[in-house]
Amino acid sequence: MYLKFKNIETFISTGGKKLNSNQPTICFIHGAGQNHFSFVQQIRYFASRGFNAIAPDFPGHGFSKGKCNSSIEDDAIWLSELLQEIGINEFVIAGHSQGCLTAIEFNKLSLKSLKGIIFIAGSAKIPVNDFLIEKAKNEPEKAYKLMVTWGHGKHGSFSISEFPGHHHLGEGFKVMEMNHKSALINDLSSCNKYEKGLDELKNINLDCLAILAKFDLMTPLKFGKKMVEHINSCECHVLDCGHFLPTEKPKELNKIIYQYLKNLDI
Amino acid sequence: MSEKYKFDTLSLHAGHVPDKETGSRAVPIYQTTSYVFNDTDEAAALYNMEVGGHLYTRISNPTISVLEQRLAALDGGVSCIACASGMAAMHLVISAICSSGDHIVASNKMYGANINLLQHTMPRFGIETDFVNPNNLDEIKKAIKKNTKLVFGEVIGNPGLDVMDIPSVAEICKENNVPLVIDATFNTPYLMKPIDYGANIIIHSLTKWLGGHGIAIGGAIINGGNFDWSNKKKFSTISGPHFALDGISFWEEFGPSALTSKIRAEGMYNFGPTLSPMNAFHILQGIETLPLRMKKHMENTNELIKFLSEHEAVSWVKHPSLDSHPDYGIAKKILPKGAGSVIVFGVKGGREAGKNFIESVQLSSHLANVGDAKTLLIHPGSTTHSHLNSEAMRSAGLTDDLIRLSVGLEDVDDIKKDFEIGLKSVLKSR
Ligand SMILES: Cc1ncc(COP(=O)(O)O)c(C=O)c1O
Repeated sequence: MYLKFKNIETFISTGGKKLNSNQPTICFIHGAGQNHFSFVQQIRYFASRGFNAIAPDFPGHGFSKGKCNSSIEDDAIWLSELLQEIGINEFVIAGHSQGCLTAIEFNKLSLKSLKGIIFIAGSAKIPVNDFLIEKAKNEPEKAYKLMVTWGHGKHGSFSISEFPGHHHLGEGFKVMEMNHKSALINDLSSCNKYEKGLDELKNINLDCLAILAKFDLMTPLKFGKKMVEHINSCECHVLDCGHFLPTEKPKELNKIIYQYLKNLDI
Repeated sequence: MSEKYKFDTLSLHAGHVPDKETGSRAVPIYQTTSYVFNDTDEAAALYNMEVGGHLYTRISNPTISVLEQRLAALDGGVSCIACASGMAAMHLVISAICSSGDHIVASNKMYGANINLLQHTMPRFGIETDFVNPNNLDEIKKAIKKNTKLVFGEVIGNPGLDVMDIPSVAEICKENNVPLVIDATFNTPYLMKPIDYGANIIIHSLTKWLGGHGIAIGGAIINGGNFDWSNKKKFSTISGPHFALDGISFWEEFGPSALTSKIRAEGMYNFGPTLSPMNAFHILQGIETLPLRMKKHMENTNELIKFLSEHEAVSWVKHPSLDSHPDYGIAKKILPKGAGSVIVFGVKGGREAGKNFIESVQLSSHLANVGDAKTLLIHPGSTTHSHLNSEAMRSAGLTDDLIRLSVGLEDVDDIKKDFEIGLKSVLKSR
């Protein structure tokens, strides 16, 4: 759905469904240079199973207009204000990659209605190498290609998809290209600057879930595991895929998340 | 698209890794109509297109998906639908985008069935086409109307071998917010990838060079994912609400793969022009050697162009690689690896001479196909168009003496020897 938020056209994927205030919500937070299309195989799945499933396009991403946020802190505040605006009740956030940092920061806002946090293929610190930063700044399309190629595991490179006829690398590239050209460099700089993630983890007092990727070259598994170790309560799964886990292993991911949501009893 | 692997590797591997259960190195032929659901939840998710997967072979099948994912990778697209034939592919694209009252701009120099579908069949469903010279950019620009929903052409036209200036036409389409649909049958992604030049949707007759062995009919649609379908009024079938699936907008839910999602959910579902898994397997086998074959096709083609051009029984030779061809310049630019392995030429002595040539050759096959590993010939004047007089032939863009040659992979010396026999009989008949 489209809405004018802070006077800016903003898109929130709801799986084509109207939000129901009697249902709990799962809010997916996209990663650097991504948008709601990261969660094509999650949104409608959860929206059909008793949840409001939403995935906002952050400013300058996907179908949302406006200037990109320039820090993880700003992303978290923007998201909390957006959620207030659309008026949801109990909810869980699920961040992918940079979305994990946003989720950590979001936790600090201490919203009572936040009932759980899901970390997908991410870690508490995402330093970005200078080469990628330089490409994102000066030749964003080259940076998209690099990220999409590194980001997909073996199945991505071999064009193996659970979605018949889909080509991960081609699709991944086009998804990134739909954003404003400044989106990726803004996001990568935000990731680079955000150094306090590990320290913030101890403040999370919710039962969390982490689904990490064995062949993650963007946020390597060992850093994901380190994040999990620093959280008081976090169930952890490792899937046999690359960084773009939501599109590489959608069914396994959905099943794990669904079970977690059921256990949370929201 | 940047790929970890290069074209030749993707031709062999894209879309498939050995499955864990059997270790089968070759792509298995899933000769099944349907798939057992693990539970009702999975069934519901598949029916509702919440996640990907197979539920009924009319809509998708694991062997066919390997082919689709291989083609999407080779052509640099985001997604692909394989179907029963090249014509089925064309119909699927048109019916996904256009409705009654809509308009198409198409090249007037295309494969006969492509023209027939647009000229005679589609108008019965309220979809009108204006035909234009594919290389008259002004004509294309002027033909685009408010209700134009797509521009259609072939990279290398069949049988005239006119080469469309894809980059310039793509620019016009972009300015007018109309998708450019390109039949790339004659070039295959080995010779040229139209998406790289700005085309939005690619159609292939897999029956031809991609399959490459004259054994299986098939077609494919490759979605470039590079068209903005957001105008709900203009592209209501893609971005407006769908009649099922909770009324979703394919554009909002699937973005770059909106078109193929629409075709999967409507065209494959409601028309059912399904490729057989066995044919998908045969075509995959063909694609494994596409780079090798296309290289040899082009080597033989270049040799035969030279041979025919120098032969006393040949009155003219047409191929975009010859500087006498009106599209020589654009062919050089967009088809640097070669402008396809079809040559058209005329024999001295008109219709009768053409007939003699065709009837005298022994190695080359006289039939209605192109893109086989074997050399193929057809003389429209004595076959497909034999009922037309010379004048009517000319207005169809053909001449009495025209022979269409699809160059095969035989030893080129043997093809030449075979042609010598045919051309000798041409000289005799004069
Ligand atoms: C350029 C072109 N497009 C489409 C087709 C139709 O393909 P099919 O026979 O697979 O339906 C053909 C067949 O000759 C062709 O030459």
